[in-house]
Amino acid sequence: MTLAPPLNPPSALRRIINVMRLHLVNKSVYIGIPWMIVAGALAVSVIITLLLRYVSGETEFPGMAYSWAVVSPLWYLIAAGVLAISTTLPFALGFSITRTDFYLGTSLLFVTVSAANALAMATLVEIEQATGGWWIGTIMFSALWFGGQTWIVNVLGFLVIQLFIFFVGALFAAVYLRWRVMGSVLLWFGVAAAIIGAVTIIVLTDSWVSVVGWLTTQTTAALLGWLAVPVALAALAGYFIVRRATPKN
Amino acid sequence: MTAIIEARNLTKTFGSTTAVDSVSFTIEENRIYGLLGRNGAGKTTIMQLLTGQDFATSGDVAVYGQSPVENAHVLQNISFIKESQKYPDAFQVRHVLASAPWFFTNWDQSFADTLLGEFRVPLKRDIKKLSRGQLSALGVIVGLASRAPITFFDEPYLGLDAVSRQLFYDRLLEDFAAHPRTVILSTHLIDEVSNLLEHVIVIDEGHIIIDSSADDLRGSAVTIVGKSVDVAAFVEGREVIHRDGIGGLSTVTITGQLSAADRQAATAAGLELAPVSLQQLIVRLSVLEDAATEGVLS
Amino acid sequence: MDESRPIFLQIAEQIENDIISGALAEETQVPSTNEFAAFYRINPATAGKGVNLLVDDGILYKKRGIGMFVAEGARTRLVAKRRDQFTEEFVRPLVAEAAKLGITTAQLAELITKEAHA
Repeated sequence: MTLAPPLNPPSALRRIINVMRLHLVNKSVYIGIPWMIVAGALAVSVIITLLLRYVSGETEFPGMAYSWAVVSPLWYLIAAGVLAISTTLPFALGFSITRTDFYLGTSLLFVTVSAANALAMATLVEIEQATGGWWIGTIMFSALWFGGQTWIVNVLGFLVIQLFIFFVGALFAAVYLRWRVMGSVLLWFGVAAAIIGAVTIIVLTDSWVSVVGWLTTQTTAALLGWLAVPVALAALAGYFIVRRATPKN
Repeated sequence: MTAIIEARNLTKTFGSTTAVDSVSFTIEENRIYGLLGRNGAGKTTIMQLLTGQDFATSGDVAVYGQSPVENAHVLQNISFIKESQKYPDAFQVRHVLASAPWFFTNWDQSFADTLLGEFRVPLKRDIKKLSRGQLSALGVIVGLASRAPITFFDEPYLGLDAVSRQLFYDRLLEDFAAHPRTVILSTHLIDEVSNLLEHVIVIDEGHIIIDSSADDLRGSAVTIVGKSVDVAAFVEGREVIHRDGIGGLSTVTITGQLSAADRQAATAAGLELAPVSLQQLIVRLSVLEDAATEGVLS
Repeated sequence: MDESRPIFLQIAEQIENDIISGALAEETQVPSTNEFAAFYRINPATAGKGVNLLVDDGILYKKRGIGMFVAEGARTRLVAKRRDQFTEEFVRPLVAEAAKLGITTAQLAELITKEAHA
């Protein structure tokens, strides 16, 4: 005779939300540090602007749009995405969390954090433009190709790029967790091969000009939309890899 | 008593190594089990298979009659604190304690707080900066305070000093008495825990060599000490599991309970009877098992 | 705790010793199973087994909702049982050891008398 389990798990939704809370219990990782980096980048941009104003007497610096300072937190987000899987997954398994709940909760985390950040960043773009570059002509958020569109496109753009970074980072971490160095090396080779393969095909079929032509006709919004495809693929692949992951010692 | 965990022909191979070889056993509820064996015997692997943290190569595991793999209904009742538990980057002790209640229904915060104080684990320290002992203590604290109906402890007290280990055993017994649960403890420090255990499962190189109640094991062997001739005569026809000697003296360990008549005969023959501790018994039986596997009989 | 014998037997013996010595008087309450377990640092189930052994022997009895008590006449019964075991447990080894050392029965009796009066 077997017993029924005495404790019932909370609903699936509750469990998934709890995983998201787990990632956020240490606020610094997904909130504190990224925004500190943004604040730091802004501070540096302001200082540079002030110096340039002092030195040159100019009040507008369109060249600053090329500084890409706005991209600075994204490098850190790569690490965050990797760590979400590499250290938090083994810990979650120790807390008796299923891999499915964990992956769904982590995905929810990525989407929520990216969305909140995207809304904030897009709004900062508006404020920057409205105040004429923080009153001194600093261009950080409204950088040339990034954040220089309508508010909604900016939101979607920031969103898709962050999701890409998170899910691709998580995918690499999942591959490493499951197949260690061998697997990671194969993944890199695979990605490199795919890119080289695509370029080779384009060159051999002499379609370089038409491909570049097509790319330049796409609006930023459309390009960002295309980026959503690898995001979805990475997210899906990550799930299937995590499903058979074990906490190696 | 009802079976809460059942393993049937459970096997796990890693490449060409067989870590767990067609192992079968049952765990009944609300008892303290010892999963004993040498380093590398397969204890951790078995626990990982029982908790769905690793996947069996063949055979099956049933916890509450279901497979534990990816099964939230089963896993909600389990706590498995590994000796080498990884923690999220930048986590502090307080983050572990803050999040534990979300995943362990029976989590007792005041119990956890008391234990933190007793084991001297600082709340605001980075996990990365904890000493080996504090890290082990944290694992033990989470396992104890989780009050999970099935709680595994995989040698989490290895980093603890003798005082802390005794504290763990004491708190475990106390809590077990007040809030019964199924506890499975793996260790190679057998003598320290032998009084806590109700049932003992001994693993050696992926096989189970002993699966018995602790009381049955205790007193199931005895060591005869005396003049070699006399000892040899006495142990004639009995199962010998260990021989030792120096000069004209022999020390031989045999299995089986001695009757009162046997004891009298031994004393009359000038032989001394010495007890065999659980640890000695298990060591002797493991050594025999290894020798038998290698085809050499001692 | 002795290594060689089941612990529950040793627990039972310890309680018997306490009853014989008078530390546990008849009709008084004995510590609970959990208290024994905590004190001797053993598994509560094992402590329970030892207590149940004494219940089966009629040495202890259970008062519902309160706990375990020493039965009436327990001491007398235990003393009688121990007397039966006395010869085998104490006298026989004494005689054997004396023989080993070449002490005659008369000398042995003298030693016992001297010791008893000391």
